[in-house]
Amino acid sequence: MQTQSPRSRKRLLKLKLNGRWREDAVAENQLLVDYLRDVAGLTGVKTGCDGGECGACTVLVDGEAVPSCITLAARCHEQSVETIEGLIQQGRPNRLQRSFHEKLGAQCGFCTPGMIMAAEALLRRNPHPNDGEIRLALSGNLCRCTGYIKIIESVRTAAETPA
Amino acid sequence: MTLMPEFELARPRDVGEAIAARHEHAGSRFIAGGTDLLVQLRHGIDRPDVLIDLSAIEELGKITSGPGGARIGAGVSIAALARDATMAANYRAVKEAAEMIAAPGHRAMGTVGGNLCLDTRCIFYNQSEWWRRANGYCLKHRGDVCHVAPQGQRCHAAFAGDLAPALLALGAEVEIAGTKGRRRMPLGDLYVEDGRAHLTLSEHELVVAAHLPPDPPPSAYSKVCVRGAIDYPLAGVAVALGMNEGVVKSLQIALTGTNSRPFVLSGTDAMVGRPIDEAALQAIERLVQKQVQPMRTTNASAHYRRLAAAALARRLTAALGIGSRPDAAVSAVR
Amino acid sequence: MSADPTAGAKRPGVPLIDGIEKVTGRARYTADLMHADALVGRIFRSPFSHGEIVRLDVSKARAVEGVAGIVTGTDCPHGYGVLPVAMNEYPLARGRVRYRGEPVAAVAAIDAKTAEQALELIEFEVRELPAYYTSEEARAPGAIPLHDDKPGNLEREVHHHFGDVSRGFAEADLVREERISCAEINHAQIEPHACLADYDPMSGRLTMQSVSQVGYYLHLMLARCLEMDTSRIRVVKPFIGGGFGARVEVLNFEIVTALLARAASGKVMMQLTREENFLTHRARPQTDIRLKLGMRRDGRITACDCEVVQRGGAYAGYGIVTILYAGALLQGLYDIPSIKYDGYRVYANLPPCGAMRGHGSVNTRHAFECLLDRMARDLGLDPFAVRRANLLRAPTRTLNDLMVNSYGLEECLERVESASKWRARIGKLPRGKGLGMACSHYVSGAAKPIHWTGEPHAAVNVRLDFDGGITALTGAADIGQGSSTMVAIAVAETLGVSIERVRVVAADSMVTPKDNGAYSSRITFMVGNAAIDAARKLKAILIEAAARKLEARPEDIECGEAFRVGHGAQSSLPFAEIVKEALVDRGPITVSGAFTCPPEAQGGKHRGGAVGSTMGFSYAAQVVEVDVDEATGVVRVDKVWAALDCGHAINPLAVEGQIEGSVWMGMGQALSEETRYVEGLPLHASLLEYRVPTSAESPAIEVQIVESHDPYGPFGAKEASEGALAGFPPALVNAVANAIGIDMDELPVTPDRIVEALVERRRRARLATAQRAAS
Repeated sequence: MQTQSPRSRKRLLKLKLNGRWREDAVAENQLLVDYLRDVAGLTGVKTGCDGGECGACTVLVDGEAVPSCITLAARCHEQSVETIEGLIQQGRPNRLQRSFHEKLGAQCGFCTPGMIMAAEALLRRNPHPNDGEIRLALSGNLCRCTGYIKIIESVRTAAETPA
Repeated sequence: MTLMPEFELARPRDVGEAIAARHEHAGSRFIAGGTDLLVQLRHGIDRPDVLIDLSAIEELGKITSGPGGARIGAGVSIAALARDATMAANYRAVKEAAEMIAAPGHRAMGTVGGNLCLDTRCIFYNQSEWWRRANGYCLKHRGDVCHVAPQGQRCHAAFAGDLAPALLALGAEVEIAGTKGRRRMPLGDLYVEDGRAHLTLSEHELVVAAHLPPDPPPSAYSKVCVRGAIDYPLAGVAVALGMNEGVVKSLQIALTGTNSRPFVLSGTDAMVGRPIDEAALQAIERLVQKQVQPMRTTNASAHYRRLAAAALARRLTAALGIGSRPDAAVSAVR
Repeated sequence: MSADPTAGAKRPGVPLIDGIEKVTGRARYTADLMHADALVGRIFRSPFSHGEIVRLDVSKARAVEGVAGIVTGTDCPHGYGVLPVAMNEYPLARGRVRYRGEPVAAVAAIDAKTAEQALELIEFEVRELPAYYTSEEARAPGAIPLHDDKPGNLEREVHHHFGDVSRGFAEADLVREERISCAEINHAQIEPHACLADYDPMSGRLTMQSVSQVGYYLHLMLARCLEMDTSRIRVVKPFIGGGFGARVEVLNFEIVTALLARAASGKVMMQLTREENFLTHRARPQTDIRLKLGMRRDGRITACDCEVVQRGGAYAGYGIVTILYAGALLQGLYDIPSIKYDGYRVYANLPPCGAMRGHGSVNTRHAFECLLDRMARDLGLDPFAVRRANLLRAPTRTLNDLMVNSYGLEECLERVESASKWRARIGKLPRGKGLGMACSHYVSGAAKPIHWTGEPHAAVNVRLDFDGGITALTGAADIGQGSSTMVAIAVAETLGVSIERVRVVAADSMVTPKDNGAYSSRITFMVGNAAIDAARKLKAILIEAAARKLEARPEDIECGEAFRVGHGAQSSLPFAEIVKEALVDRGPITVSGAFTCPPEAQGGKHRGGAVGSTMGFSYAAQVVEVDVDEATGVVRVDKVWAALDCGHAINPLAVEGQIEGSVWMGMGQALSEETRYVEGLPLHASLLEYRVPTSAESPAIEVQIVESHDPYGPFGAKEASEGALAGFPPALVNAVANAIGIDMDELPVTPDRIVEALVERRRRARLATAQRAAS
């Protein structure tokens, strides 16, 4: 997980990461989650399982919430990738981040970045979701602390807050 | 071990290039959404030298429809399929199957082709390298014993894709590209009852599209899982039922999760001309119970999957038969 | 104690003081710590269930370029374990392996690939021994013991008898006995285990950053296993992604990583896979319960006879405590005149079990509450009436000498009965829909700690310096439950200052006072009291300074952001002024607060009597509404109403969150979670096969906070995070019985188990019809 073998073939990855274009040479077998954490230093992206089971690593690729642990970094060439760190605007957390804080949508906080990114994708697509839509949109993101109650409340609150 | 093995990534721009690349590299594999394949690679199942990434091929990413029916490109994402208006209007089972697959993130990445060609699954197979080695491997991969049925000669891993039964019930065909060009065949012919090699594709072939015939009968899909998302079907059933003046005009039932392949239930022709009454529903339950072959490939019992498949077939048929879908049919799915 | 019905709900809650870091991704969990310069650790695990080690050759692995260190059982001859009386485990196996997945050797290498290459070259042979995967097999005559000093593979037998059980059964109008079993489950905290060990060969110091809930125990075990002086070890807790008991004992990988760091003279990062998390395990054991209750016609319980068998896995861990809790916490919830308890903790060739939320109490409580409902049905009584017929009256002591000082169960019952409209709806729902209820309770910290040192149960230091910032130093591990926020509130409220003035430094052995850790729901009660004690000491100093400055009597001074005489009508001075005055002559201030549970709180004198002892029990009641699909066996939970008596909600927002989370975790155990094995290999070692409920099928949970104002709790508070869990599984099973008339005797209530039960009922009905026809 930590280090890519120097034997792997690398290719140039150009992507817009949290609003900024950047280029890196990445091994062709590198997962997006490892690229984001180890190369770009965005450790807000979490790893919670052995592949595609928990949603903790959820990021937005061209606006779609996807698990970065089953996404190859090289496939994000010329795409936009957003992580939890990218939601902060001028030092201020965005409305979802604020509501997750204020409503206790985060307890241990480990699922939170992925959860918020899934919720962000939902609100961009559907600004006024009902509880059922929120539940379905977050159903790939496991939380072990909250029973999802305050997470859903946080998303509902954020939706009622001007973006 | 969850370390990703090393491979090179090829990104062909069209189907021809993809086939050529597959032909060129003996140890290559196609990758579409990667939601299953990348997990398998991390589990040490298969070590391809080259992955041929199909995501940049434009042709694969389109749904078209017209008087001749609908063509769904193999690269269309599950999410796009679930959102598609044509599916919602005419091919309800396909939409319902698509919107129940795994979880939103998998649906955004996973593709129609990937779901149709999904590897078969088994509790003795979908495990880490350490696990499988400690267990002496299995018939499906590196071993010579099927732990599900050690006396037998075949692998019983079960197919668990959701789209196949929906497409099968609606009489879909698949379009396949290979070194010798393209061919079309009934979707059912893509599969055989062998958990180790359940696809009839030859080595360099690629599923490029599914074709749905026009004027489909009403259809529905339902499945049982232990939880509401991030789960494979223990049993999934699609039903397409055409009625005419209170009697059956056509009835197709297809199943997943119970066998090494998705399959169309045989014997439903006998229902044609009869009403959907209790006798017909019991007959359907019996047909399902007789034809499904669940084995202990999941953590839920095989007996349960047999009963649940029959119950779902009955329920969906009944719901379509009375022309509306009662809440019960929906709630069973969750 | 009467409860104030609205107080908790009315007070606003406080968001977590470390919440912004969590929602912005800035919070650094162990895997996020800078480790580009660290070696990568990997563990070689036994592929065998049981065997004597014949050969372990790591020479080829050692020769791999890039391998910096390899350790095996020979590198650590010291057993370890959380209970001083049961340290029968080695960080790396010595002599024998006892379960598939047991660590045997470990490698530190320059990268993961090299480490894994090296693992492939380790040669390991055992002489296989018979392996036992069930309690029954392990206890069978002739079974060879996993541990030579434990014949019959019994880690511990408990036989407790209080009151006169035979008389109790004789006095009963109804006696019913049930056998109920609960599958083994796992904590499945979302953050996988990880630690970063840094050994400096020049200074001989070790710094360990780990996911531990018990930094102090980790500190002790590292010193023991590495034969190091405790003063050369520093244990730091980064942000932790949940615990639920997974990390309340020192885990093998932590010691292994420290051994590797020393062997490699450097820094080693160890990150376990999700599968390895399941192999590390330490969660709730598979449990078989035989329970017999006697009841009078009015619902009064006369006797309880309970036998519990726990399949504990291959090593002791917390096992003795778990099997004691299972019996001890039959008490403390209801008034039961006679209780007989027989507990058996069994060794088997599986990953070791340990403590999990509701430690020891959950499965017995499940059986008890299911049986209460069935007996209520037999007697034509309402489930609520049966509970009400057996309430305690606080203050009291139970038969096994546990203190009950505050008791809000009656209030909890009223709240959920009314919120769920139970009386209007029970028995009137359509087929397939059902209501069920149950009660539960849990300790607010064990009154007798595992490592008895004679020290206070908790200590908090509070600092005040020229800047006017108040820093609370606590060893308590915030694992997401909000303990640091609780400390900040306790200090701020005691001093009457704004919470923004208070900073909390937690769980770094170099700077914070020792704390036993985040387990048995001890932190709010014990650390909260210690924080209040420290803040009061600081307050006294400040008031003395203010009295000098304001030329008033100390008893007339009001402490806060401004110090006032009387009610502020006269003179007032800002906080900063008083700080300046307080620091004159004395300099920067550090005060220590402490909390100790008095001996009379520490349980009965009988063997094992300390387990279950606590200063205060939380109490909970809940109602669960279900919809059962009889065709597919799928149980949907439509709604949950839960009420919990936490004494006083120091932070109502966090209390709600804890109740919701614990109720929901009970739902997972009730519906979908289990860890079974095939020949010792885990069948559920992923988050795909270990089915933690998703948001899609999780219900709305309506929470009510009941405040019984415990006389010893901090501001009257008791625990809030475990007590409600145990009520869910029985409430669900009772609701399923209400919906479809079937009593489920096995957890979890998965669709296949429901359908099998329905098939069995039809089969019996056919049989009965056939018999009637024949006769």
